[in-house]
Amino acid sequence: MPETKISRRDFIKLTSLAGGALALGQFLPLQVARAARDIGSLDDRGNGTISTLCEMCVWRCGVLAKVVEERVVKLEGNPEHPHSHGKLCARGQSGLMNTYDPDRILTPLIRVGQRGEGKFRPASWDEALNLVAENMLKIKRNYGPEAMVFSSTHNLSQPQFENLLYGFGSPNYGTQRSLCFNAMIVANLITYGMEEPDRDYSQLKYLILTGRNLTEAISTSETSALVDAIASGAKVVYIDPRFTKTASKASEWLPIRPGTDLAFHLALINFMIAEKRYNQPFVEQYLLGFDKLVEAVAGYTPEWAAPITGIDAQVIHRIAVEFSEAAPYALAHNGWRTSNFINSFPTERAIAILNAMTGNWGVTLLPSAEEGAGGLGQPPQPPYPRVSAQRLDGVPWKYPFVPLKIGIFQQMRDAILEGQPYQAHGWFISRQNPVLSLPDQQKTLEAFGKMDFIVSVDIIMNDTDWFADVVLPETSYLERYDPLVPMGNRIFIRQPVIEPQGDARSALWIYKELGKRLGLGDFFQYTDEEDYLRQELAPLGISLEELRLRGYVDLPEGNGGTEFQWSTPSGKIEVYSDALGKAGFDPLPAWQEPPQPKSGEFYLLTGKVGQHTQFGTQNNQLLHKYQDVPRLWINPEAAQTLGLKDWDLVEVTSPVGKVKVALQVTPAIRSDCVYLTPGFGHLSKGLRTAYGVGSSDSALHVTYVDPISGGQALSQTFVSVKKA
Amino acid sequence: MPQKNHYAFVIDVSRCIDCRACLVACSVENKFPMNHTRIWVHDQGVQGEWPALSRIFIPYNCMHCDTPPCTEVCVSGATYKDKVSGLVLVDQQACIGCGFCVEACPYGVRYIDEKRGVVDKCNACVQRLEVGLPPACVATCLGKARMFGDLNDPNSEVSIALKNAKSVVRLDYEVGRTDTDPNIYYLNLAEMGGVKSSDSFGQVKQAALPREPHYTISEEGWKKVLVPLIAAGMGGAFLVQATFFTKQLIEGEKEFDE
Repeated sequence: MPETKISRRDFIKLTSLAGGALALGQFLPLQVARAARDIGSLDDRGNGTISTLCEMCVWRCGVLAKVVEERVVKLEGNPEHPHSHGKLCARGQSGLMNTYDPDRILTPLIRVGQRGEGKFRPASWDEALNLVAENMLKIKRNYGPEAMVFSSTHNLSQPQFENLLYGFGSPNYGTQRSLCFNAMIVANLITYGMEEPDRDYSQLKYLILTGRNLTEAISTSETSALVDAIASGAKVVYIDPRFTKTASKASEWLPIRPGTDLAFHLALINFMIAEKRYNQPFVEQYLLGFDKLVEAVAGYTPEWAAPITGIDAQVIHRIAVEFSEAAPYALAHNGWRTSNFINSFPTERAIAILNAMTGNWGVTLLPSAEEGAGGLGQPPQPPYPRVSAQRLDGVPWKYPFVPLKIGIFQQMRDAILEGQPYQAHGWFISRQNPVLSLPDQQKTLEAFGKMDFIVSVDIIMNDTDWFADVVLPETSYLERYDPLVPMGNRIFIRQPVIEPQGDARSALWIYKELGKRLGLGDFFQYTDEEDYLRQELAPLGISLEELRLRGYVDLPEGNGGTEFQWSTPSGKIEVYSDALGKAGFDPLPAWQEPPQPKSGEFYLLTGKVGQHTQFGTQNNQLLHKYQDVPRLWINPEAAQTLGLKDWDLVEVTSPVGKVKVALQVTPAIRSDCVYLTPGFGHLSKGLRTAYGVGSSDSALHVTYVDPISGGQALSQTFVSVKKA
Repeated sequence: MPQKNHYAFVIDVSRCIDCRACLVACSVENKFPMNHTRIWVHDQGVQGEWPALSRIFIPYNCMHCDTPPCTEVCVSGATYKDKVSGLVLVDQQACIGCGFCVEACPYGVRYIDEKRGVVDKCNACVQRLEVGLPPACVATCLGKARMFGDLNDPNSEVSIALKNAKSVVRLDYEVGRTDTDPNIYYLNLAEMGGVKSSDSFGQVKQAALPREPHYTISEEGWKKVLVPLIAAGMGGAFLVQATFFTKQLIEGEKEFDE
């Protein structure tokens, strides 16, 4: 592997280099240290602890940042925060290395070479923002506002991002959710009327985890809760074609045939109905259309499912019995990255229904705490301009069940490429890396080629920034304020714990300054970040200083409404969905056999590792230090058939691309599958730690769009493997 | 040697998920060079016959032995067993970086910091203990696998955990005629299949960092030390103590302290 100069630098040297960059910064708009001294978080010498929120993934744990002489030196989990309980995962612990990454972008950059050549020149904010505004307005003038597409995901500044795009007048909003869990969200919306009910492990006795690799795809509090539940004797059935670290903690691992989770769950439902092993009073009172389900699943016996799933009928019987006996302290987990197969949507529906049958509502499955909390104010703003253009991603005119704020990212990319229903000309991207996240990387790069103008907001030079025309440097999460986040009955704050480095600025500042130049000043009526937060807090009568000092404030207990009512059309848990039926889809989950690999091909599986989040953390040197080398997993039998051995460099070929990667021969995977850790294979040479490490699965993934949920089918790509 | 405190790690192997939060937390807290580590999670690898597979993770660091081989070979007196805490510490002002202790440690948990010319290893985050905080690895352990505390205090979390344990395993090592008497106590290690003959605990000899898998330890680096399962009397290798009656163990320790 190639060496870089970085590899010889040690941690101390790196942090002092970053400190040098800070000294060069001329404008420190927030005066973090002074403000923190004022409220008492820091002492006179700039030492102390400041409470804030993590942003190393989307779980947003509470963080206590230890600051010494105005430098952040250690992060701890905030014991008061329900997502961290005093703990941080490897990513959370490494967070200060994102901030002190020697590859940080510390000044606006304007491209001078060809796209993808990585040649940029530094520019002032004025010049960069003027250039962005000029190009966006030119596109608007020539082609209409819909010719600008916007994409960003899952961050706290998203309300202001939405102001920018809807204020501009574009309907085209890309989030990464269709690459992740659209199937789960849409299934829960239809069944329970909410995106994702909360899970409670405190009384759990029996858990079915379907591809939810909780010890590697970590959500700190939930991962801890799982380990506690297992230690307290809960039985965990783990279903996955891979023997993951979670499998090693489970009571039972079932290496199911990929794409057949639906058949397994339909068989559980069938058997529990046949044996009357469901909560009859609950079902009668709260479920809609259960009688129709009884008929519909009549043929889905465990004996039917056995040859499909590769799981013995007796095992399915036993699990159905154990699961129903543990009810209501039983839970079927709805999974996490659920965009796996073309039948992922009915799979999620079946899981939602299986839970409902046990009557576990209010016990292991709860109303989502994040929905309905708040009471926060917001700055005044005018109504958005009327948009007449259709969305490029087909929502809702082609995909009526996909929420507008979620969309179908891969479909948007394809529409850009095809120029249908109209041609897009500009792309505004904030903190997202579609070059690595979207399936079929070549297509994404081609779609970039269709763009007159690409602007990206980021912290380090990710692959998407590498291909952009203008890159705007955002402050890291330890350097900025973001809009407030209600969590249960508390409001938490993300606040700067150190001064911004270089010329980096917060998203709130960037969107406002760009908005002004686009003539959208009225959508950004706040003088600065603190003013924005004060306007949010105004209706609650809470001072920003109080919130800043503690990191959170308690809200008065809400009534919360009745627990046994759901925001579905009927107010019940909808087993049978009229809405689906009217749109021409099956109103009940029904078996669909997904495509299978041809002889000699493998399912290409995806799945996380505990040290990284998606496509943005691979350059973090602390995570790099403790990660495994990303290799292609293959079963020893399959390797032997192909004449391959451990560490061989292999060429992996899919219908859309080829990559080379080292092989990891392991019994921890079925012989009809291979697995590649996502997030590696970066194209940007501006990522000096991550560049050249591993290969990208997005270069291999074939694009699919689920007609109901819009989800991509990430495990439905079949590949061949040979020695490189 | 009577000590005021008897600090020890108790690690419940059944709760370790190999998330490596402890490794990163240690790295940040103690700011050692990026090409070294003070703390490891040993991965036994996938064991067993398909589909009855198993895999366990054994976190470890300096064992803060009661009879540490490292202090005996230290020519400058820099490495010492602290009389108050019972921790094995390195006075880096006094250390001359000769490396004898690195060779002497059977667990391979010491390294020479080339830049400073001194030896470094886990000090149980004494800087945190002084202000009442647990070691960084313990504080952030997602699975609550790692515990740390004073075995002389019968009400400490570690004492209670040992008292309630079904089994306790230590990775004891016979150096000459003396056992190392390590102070990492493993819970549920015996129940989960114990230590395998292929397991070895030692440090990477040739660290090629940060591009190479310096977390994953190479076969060669590990050959230095072998740990056969329950191998008392087998060619002077490790003794793995499986104490199934923990009460005995705790009482034994009390006697020792008095």
